[in-house]
Amino acid sequence: MTNYGLVIDQERCIGCQACAVSCKQENNVPMGQFWNRVLTEGGDKIDTPSGGYPEDGGSGSLDMQYQPTACQHCENAPCVKVCPVNATYTRDDGIVEIDYDKCIGCRYCMAACPYNARVFNWDEPDHMPEEGTGDVAARPQGVVEKCTFCSHRVDEGLDPACVVNCPADARIFGDLDDEGSTVSKYINEYETDQLLEDRGTNPKTHYISGEMSPGRPQTSDKMESELDDVSPWSDGSEDVPAEASESDSSGSGGSHHSIEGDAAPHVPAVGSGGDD
Amino acid sequence: MNNPQEPRLTPIDEWEDEATAMLDGVDYDTDLGLRMARDAIRVSNGELSDAEFHEKYHEEVLAEFGEDERPTKPEGFDDD
Repeated sequence: MTNYGLVIDQERCIGCQACAVSCKQENNVPMGQFWNRVLTEGGDKIDTPSGGYPEDGGSGSLDMQYQPTACQHCENAPCVKVCPVNATYTRDDGIVEIDYDKCIGCRYCMAACPYNARVFNWDEPDHMPEEGTGDVAARPQGVVEKCTFCSHRVDEGLDPACVVNCPADARIFGDLDDEGSTVSKYINEYETDQLLEDRGTNPKTHYISGEMSPGRPQTSDKMESELDDVSPWSDGSEDVPAEASESDSSGSGGSHHSIEGDAAPHVPAVGSGGDD
Repeated sequence: MNNPQEPRLTPIDEWEDEATAMLDGVDYDTDLGLRMARDAIRVSNGELSDAEFHEKYHEEVLAEFGEDERPTKPEGFDDD
């Protein structure tokens, strides 16, 4: 069975906030709210290192690490267990999601989430531009919302927006139950941690720290399972979908391959970069 | 809550204050939410089973919300 998860290489993360911004845009997250945040480990304030500058020829002790944080899509999710109306639930593929039609705004799930990953729409959500952004409908006032691993994209065979838009290749998304998937290989190869492991929630987001991973050549915004051969352990020369080599002769910067069935790419067929 | 300017996750010993603040002004029982949140973590930890958790709060949840649709309901559990 599919069990989606995310690996974030903290050594590769450059704190650019592209994940936070692309999440906000893709998911139509209201003004003042964030589903995806880049926290910092270091000084007392965000983006502030601990330690001091070099003095008298010394090497200094400045130290800071980025800690991207969103819903961890826990295996043993406390938020799911406390929801009295079953609005927060775990999908068959492991993604923890909220049925906004069921949510009554009791906020018990927010109190139970150790990762502070959920936000509450206190007022009528405010969007800029007013009609909203991205491919997800706005949520109403009085409900709780959070990261969905971009389930609307995943359902179409696309990686989450934060993964596709990470310029440092610090994020890898895939099936944790597939030993051959890239996420599984990263978890097996590198020392990974989960946030607040002692709470027993068993998050599906794993963090690499200490040794930088090689990253993954971004050949497409399709999920790895839909590509013929993507291996982070190769030199990248084989990491090209079969269709791309046959059909992509335009040289444009958009979608690199044809899409089968009903799947639709979220990048323009012609034009440079950008997800929306 | 979920302040992007907050540099780190809330330390464990400060979690309860934060949870209380989240539930402040909610239309439902704040104390019940806090107790359930605390015990839901205990379920995750394995200190409490799903069934024990469900049974412990079933009556209160039913009284507060008029329904109890939590997924922790043990097989054969009598809702009444």
